[in-house]
Amino acid sequence: MAKEKASRTQKTTMFDIVNYIVFVVIALIVLIPIWKVLVDSLNQVGVYQFRIYPRNFTLDGYKTIIETSKLYTPFLVSVVSTVLGTLLGLTLATLGGYVLNQTEMPGRNAMAFFLLFTMIFSGGMIPEYLVMKQLGFINHWYILVFKHGINVYNLVLMKNFFEGVPSSLFEAAKIDGCSPMGIFFKIVLPLSKAALASIGLMFAVTVWNDYSTVQIYITDTKQVNFQYKLKTMIMDGDTPTTSYNVSQTTLYNAGIVAAILPFMILYPFLQKYFVKGVNIGAVKE
Amino acid sequence: MKKKVLSVLLASAMVLSLAACGGKTDESSASTETSVATSTEASTETSTETAEAAPYELTELKVVVDGTLTATEDNGQAAFVEQWNAAVSEKLGHSITMNITQLDHSSYSDAVGRLIIGGDLPDVMIMSASMFKQYETTGLLWNMADAYDNAEFQSRLTLTSINENLKTADGALYGFAPTYGNGCVTYVKKAWLDAVGLSADDIKTFDDYYNMLLAFHNGDPDGDGVDGNTYGVIAAGYANLGEAPYVNYLPEFWQDGYPAILQDANGVWYDGFTADACKAALKRLRQGYVDGVIDPDTLTASTKIAREKWFSNEQAGSEGAFTYWAGTWYQTLTDNLIKNEVDSELVVLSPIAEIKNTLGGYINREAPVWVIVDDGDGDNSREQAVFDAFIETMLDGDKVQMLWTYGAEGVHWSTAADEFVTNPGTDNEKSYSYEEGTFHLLPSPNDANSIWKKNAMDPALVISPLTNGFKASTELSDSGNVFFTNNCVDAPAGASCETLTNYSADITDAKSAVISAVVIDGVDVDEAIATYYTGVVGTVIEQALTELNSAE
Amino acid sequence: MRKKVQYTSTGEVVRKKPLSKRIWNHRGYYLMFLPVFLFVLIMYYWPMLGIRFAFFTYKPVGPKTFVGLKHFQSMFIDPLKAPAFWQAFKNTLELSIIKLLITTFASVIVSVFLNEMKNLFAKKTLQTIIYLPHFMSWTVVASIFTLILSKSETGMVNGLLVQWGIIEQSEKIFFLADKGWWRPIYYMVNIWKETGWGTIIFLATLSGINPELYEAADIDGASRLQKIGYVTMPALANTIITVLILNLAKVMNLFESVFVMYNIAVYDVSDVISTYIYRQTFNTFTPDYGFSTAVGLFKSLVGCVLVLVCNYLSKKTRGRGIV
Repeated sequence: MAKEKASRTQKTTMFDIVNYIVFVVIALIVLIPIWKVLVDSLNQVGVYQFRIYPRNFTLDGYKTIIETSKLYTPFLVSVVSTVLGTLLGLTLATLGGYVLNQTEMPGRNAMAFFLLFTMIFSGGMIPEYLVMKQLGFINHWYILVFKHGINVYNLVLMKNFFEGVPSSLFEAAKIDGCSPMGIFFKIVLPLSKAALASIGLMFAVTVWNDYSTVQIYITDTKQVNFQYKLKTMIMDGDTPTTSYNVSQTTLYNAGIVAAILPFMILYPFLQKYFVKGVNIGAVKE
Repeated sequence: MKKKVLSVLLASAMVLSLAACGGKTDESSASTETSVATSTEASTETSTETAEAAPYELTELKVVVDGTLTATEDNGQAAFVEQWNAAVSEKLGHSITMNITQLDHSSYSDAVGRLIIGGDLPDVMIMSASMFKQYETTGLLWNMADAYDNAEFQSRLTLTSINENLKTADGALYGFAPTYGNGCVTYVKKAWLDAVGLSADDIKTFDDYYNMLLAFHNGDPDGDGVDGNTYGVIAAGYANLGEAPYVNYLPEFWQDGYPAILQDANGVWYDGFTADACKAALKRLRQGYVDGVIDPDTLTASTKIAREKWFSNEQAGSEGAFTYWAGTWYQTLTDNLIKNEVDSELVVLSPIAEIKNTLGGYINREAPVWVIVDDGDGDNSREQAVFDAFIETMLDGDKVQMLWTYGAEGVHWSTAADEFVTNPGTDNEKSYSYEEGTFHLLPSPNDANSIWKKNAMDPALVISPLTNGFKASTELSDSGNVFFTNNCVDAPAGASCETLTNYSADITDAKSAVISAVVIDGVDVDEAIATYYTGVVGTVIEQALTELNSAE
Repeated sequence: MRKKVQYTSTGEVVRKKPLSKRIWNHRGYYLMFLPVFLFVLIMYYWPMLGIRFAFFTYKPVGPKTFVGLKHFQSMFIDPLKAPAFWQAFKNTLELSIIKLLITTFASVIVSVFLNEMKNLFAKKTLQTIIYLPHFMSWTVVASIFTLILSKSETGMVNGLLVQWGIIEQSEKIFFLADKGWWRPIYYMVNIWKETGWGTIIFLATLSGINPELYEAADIDGASRLQKIGYVTMPALANTIITVLILNLAKVMNLFESVFVMYNIAVYDVSDVISTYIYRQTFNTFTPDYGFSTAVGLFKSLVGCVLVLVCNYLSKKTRGRGIV
């Protein structure tokens, strides 16, 4: 797509210049608060005010996270639950989205209603807690996987993407004797890489950023995830409890950066699938 | 049409499967209901008849605790539990293990509610005074009055009033406080006082205090060459209406104003918020806001933000005075200033004359209590066993009390010969060396640069002191505790009646509205209080007062 | 029901086969739906039995008792509670819907112009930067913005305004405590935090636009802006509407972003249902779960109405709903 686009308009116009300037300004605005976190995470001393650069540079905050098992264990819990949760979530969202796209299927509307209803109505925290308890999910990190395993919002988005796959392809495949599963794996999935990448990312981030599930369902400190650990560090109330080798401020700011880092690394790899997503359009009638 | 039939079929299948699953939930919740219901009856019976029965052998003890247990998972809890198991097993003559569930401090009552609903009842848990009030009469808690009265530690108690006061009118005791409550005192940065040429000894009245704040705000106490970029004082909110004793973060401004329902000398209840003392306090707060001596961030700050701003490495924009918890926090605040490379010497202000002459001193909050859960089987032997294993040993004056006070031997404290250095290579480097047999605290398991302070019980606040003579040598927290004990008064008794419980949040909101209107928007105090009182809140408060006063 | 006649992709009318035959033909699809069905049933429908608690008093201790509509009465009618509740209800709708509209709008604009960027490296870098704030929890975001917007000496924005001579030292604005400023600030912080993340779904859609459409527009001599208007935006319309309608269902759930940014001085303009309920239960250590369930039910009903209305409008204007 890059090449195609480049060939579309070669010369840099006024439009491009303005566009670049505007985006640089936006990027700066976005970065200012993040810069504060980054500087504080590298600062030996706790500074409340805004500083452009650290007063006393240190990497101790990050070192503490890597070296303290009470901090890296939650990080590993986060990584594992995010990977599994994303896989489960994507599987169910693609299956559901694909099936909902079968407009001629008897009962399709009922199924759609069955799903959409859950977006609006819920039993509330306590009934959910009791059900999770019955299922034996309390106090285990894998509740994060199951809690996010089905997401109707993402399922509907997935269905919307599938709509973009030209139905002529399905017809052709059906005539070739492909089963629904076959069509799904051989035609739909390969054509939906952009959707899989973006919705997968949405799943991953939801699981990764989730601390409230942990707060409600997990009391065993060995099972908590990183965002929860981070939150307890930040919200640390009136009790002078845990102290680490570095200033609290340094440590939790390092934690905030650490929580962003995996996705900063991951995103560029996913981006190329957004580009490949053009395939859907390429065969569109 | 056929489609419709199909969806109906689908829906009914759904409902059927739901009903099948639902049966189970009902059963489990029903069983919780009955257990709670029976326990109500059980607790009203006397425990004497069953207490003589064969002793119950308790092998596992489930404890739910909040952040007050300083030996957290990160900070040597495993060693604490291990040593507790060993010591208590030896005492009881059979093996027992303690299982600790430590819940998040900020959502403790929430999490406890879920545990109870889910049927995961612990044997023992800790509750704040306000939380305890709500649970006291529910039948969930075991009446430990007999166990307490016959406890072995009775003879050693130095302060009996706390638990006697916890007893209900008919003599039942549902919670036990091993320590008294603690409260807040005003700390001032010594360097700032020096910079503006003041001495803490001269701060005797509110005017002295206010002038000090003015000097901090208008002068250059942080020495950065800029006047007026510093503040007098910061707090987390102008009042903390959510938690008694409400006004402990800005006591000099509130003085004898107390924004809650109070009892006068004749025992008649009245609304302290509409009293003149409160109006005067609001005027002082307004003046402080206008003059800029109270940091405007006070409105939005949490306690953590307030603390962080106060001991920030960058002192421009910071404040000179800060009212915060006495005792251990004296040390912790100092440590944080040291860590941030700020001049760390603090002075504790004696209560100003206006506080001394009205209240009598800084306010001491009600202590948190340990409660024992009644299993509701009508038999007290199990609960008595829990008391013997947990509460009785907690104040044994020796091994177990040491665990609760200072933590685990060899991890948090030691009597072996020792040498260590904190903050090596910095200006704050300090070396420690102890001979064999000297009791001393070790560096925190998690932070080699700061010395461990205490576990769940503060040695200075405990109602029955250690008998082994061990005493930690953190002068600051000790002196802080001594200072507080000499300068405190108990918080006024809180009112409790049905109307107040039902409308507490609404009343709090209405009070918040008055405070922000007066302090921030500059609305006239009398006018603001009048709107508060003539509104619906007035009716509710009248009703509450009638209920309270007729109950007496 | 709506479409009586079905067409194949080639436009021929399909003669309806008998229902049993059609079900049999789709057996593979039913099988594929089964895991989704079971998951939703267990994780969502089973807990839904708890909705009945809306009519009970249900506390951690004490018996569960049927109280009928008592919880709804205290929400809607009680003279002390109802005004605050309705104020919170109104605030919830206003804050939530405006927030939804402007963050979606911002995301669309940013995606469209990001899509126009030719330098792939710049595009990728900018994309990576603008979605970063999404990973910071609201607690962190609020503490940073409270610092930046503070009225005290540490407030950067006020400092700059004074330095540039726009306001006097004595006129510093208390952004977060000013009833006029709070909402604009709230929207801006939301834009700051969620715009970048919102672009992901739109960029994925944009990458699916057939390049031939742009080439055709080029041949017609369309300008860049015209191409955006006639090619890009129509292609996004479907996704925008889906995102908007799906998010309407969650409109009533607004909580954390308000909770960390509001304070007693601005309750009038900032208090939403969830924060109101939070305060209502915070002071009671034995919360009545029946009451929170009743509020939840009310929120669901409102969300339901919103979604149905919008779905209806979507059907009216575009000829189809979201699913």
